[in-house]
Amino acid sequence: MIDLPAIETSRLSKSYGQMEAVRDLNLCVTANRITGFLGSNGAGKSTTIKMLLGMIRPTSGGGAVLGRRIDHPAESVKLRRDVAYVSEDKRLYGYMTVEQTIRFTSGFYPGWRSETAWLLLRKYELPPERKVRSLSKGMRTKLALLLAISRGPKLLILDEPSEGLDPVGVEQLLESLVSQSGEGTTVFFSSHQIEEVERIADRVCILDHGRLLMDLSLDEIREGYRQIDVVFPVEAPEREFRLPGVESIETKGRQLRLLSSGNTDEIVAQARALSASEIDVAPVGLREIFLRTVKSSHALV
Amino acid sequence: MLWYKAWLETRSRFLVSLVGMVALPSYWVFHEDGLGTRLDWYYRTLHNGHGLLSAMWVLAVILLMMGGLLREKAAGTSSFTLALPVSRAHLMRVRILFGLAQAMTLIIIPWGVMFLVAAATGNANSVSQAFFYVILLAGGGVVFFAVALLVSSVVEGEYTAPAVCFGILFLDIVAFENGPLTSYSPWTFLVGTEYFDRASQQLAGPVPWVHFSANVLAAILLIAISIRAIQRTEF
Repeated sequence: MIDLPAIETSRLSKSYGQMEAVRDLNLCVTANRITGFLGSNGAGKSTTIKMLLGMIRPTSGGGAVLGRRIDHPAESVKLRRDVAYVSEDKRLYGYMTVEQTIRFTSGFYPGWRSETAWLLLRKYELPPERKVRSLSKGMRTKLALLLAISRGPKLLILDEPSEGLDPVGVEQLLESLVSQSGEGTTVFFSSHQIEEVERIADRVCILDHGRLLMDLSLDEIREGYRQIDVVFPVEAPEREFRLPGVESIETKGRQLRLLSSGNTDEIVAQARALSASEIDVAPVGLREIFLRTVKSSHALV
Repeated sequence: MLWYKAWLETRSRFLVSLVGMVALPSYWVFHEDGLGTRLDWYYRTLHNGHGLLSAMWVLAVILLMMGGLLREKAAGTSSFTLALPVSRAHLMRVRILFGLAQAMTLIIIPWGVMFLVAAATGNANSVSQAFFYVILLAGGGVVFFAVALLVSSVVEGEYTAPAVCFGILFLDIVAFENGPLTSYSPWTFLVGTEYFDRASQQLAGPVPWVHFSANVLAAILLIAISIRAIQRTEF
């Protein structure tokens, strides 16, 4: 049986006047997996998430979350019963105490897991009687996470969840996300922290200037992507390497650094044919892929 | 649970308003014994007490209605609220009904206490007069309630929205006072200037239900516009 995607968008776009925040986004987030949503500041990640949750209307295109249309108000209400969202700034009602916030939120979800809430309250060391306004950002993040997890969502959407957390908090967060995924929850989270994405995500989407540049599984990245350093005795013939699979090329005098997403053998053969004096092929991390992909995209823009 | 949130969000403002509105007009009526025991003087005092109460009520209701999703947007909590499985129309309905309940409480309890004080100190104990005043305050006040709701639904900013509301109130008092349009002024209606008979120092004539209904209709229109505005706003 093939699972329906948890999130699916089709040519989803959002413009503010002349500025296109999201452009023709075709996103497909697989159910029961952890998907990292990477992008620089202003790439359109938060705008995309807000469109998914009905907070912003798309300019064109559409999409569905858990099979429900995002641009239909009644459907949007229904989909939010099964979705938990932790926003970027994690602001909660300052006039409520931690306990009141939990009681308030629990009232909206019939499947609320009180035991989970209690366990997380202790694990995160949150003071029940303290007003939310007097919590640090890290504690607010933990409370937001507690509220998200305890409702037993089918889909967990988090916008920069680790921002403001100390290293222990980050570890707890990542553990919680992995554990949620293990229980069958789809996790979709945006982040600047590439290492976090690389550690827990099954799949990575890279967004830049509102366009989806990459949507691959971590396995595909590990198996397919290579960094190829080539040194020539004369000036590097960059044009000769515009081959299938070459994602980006950086030239520095006689040296050429290529990022390939496949077709490595043919690229290496081409380097040999052009009398390269040195050829070095190495696996490449997500950070390098992200930086090079975004850089290439900026060069095109 | 939205009622619970609405209560926690406004309870300080509401309780301070309630205490102030119970204490000040009643104190005023209790100590206003100018011409001894003349009954008409006590009704005059009650009329003045109503004016004071009306001013306090309008200010309190404007401050009470300065919440909602736009305020939450400024405070950064709108994302949390809008991610809850409820429609924006539902959020607005709860806010409106809860706000109306608070506004009506701020009429009935302070007016009731003031009336009891007036009755005890000067035999100004006409229930029909009290009812007339309450209807005027509710009928004129509902327009200010709706204006405050509309302003808080279209004007962002913690201080800008109340400033705009107070500006509208000031404009109403200044522009409509003693002019040809005075009959259309919600403020004139709620303080009862048009219905006050100086000879008897009481409100005269039948309760103006037509004018009351017109005010309520205007308020309903403003409330409907507010709901539409919030449904269309992007957060």
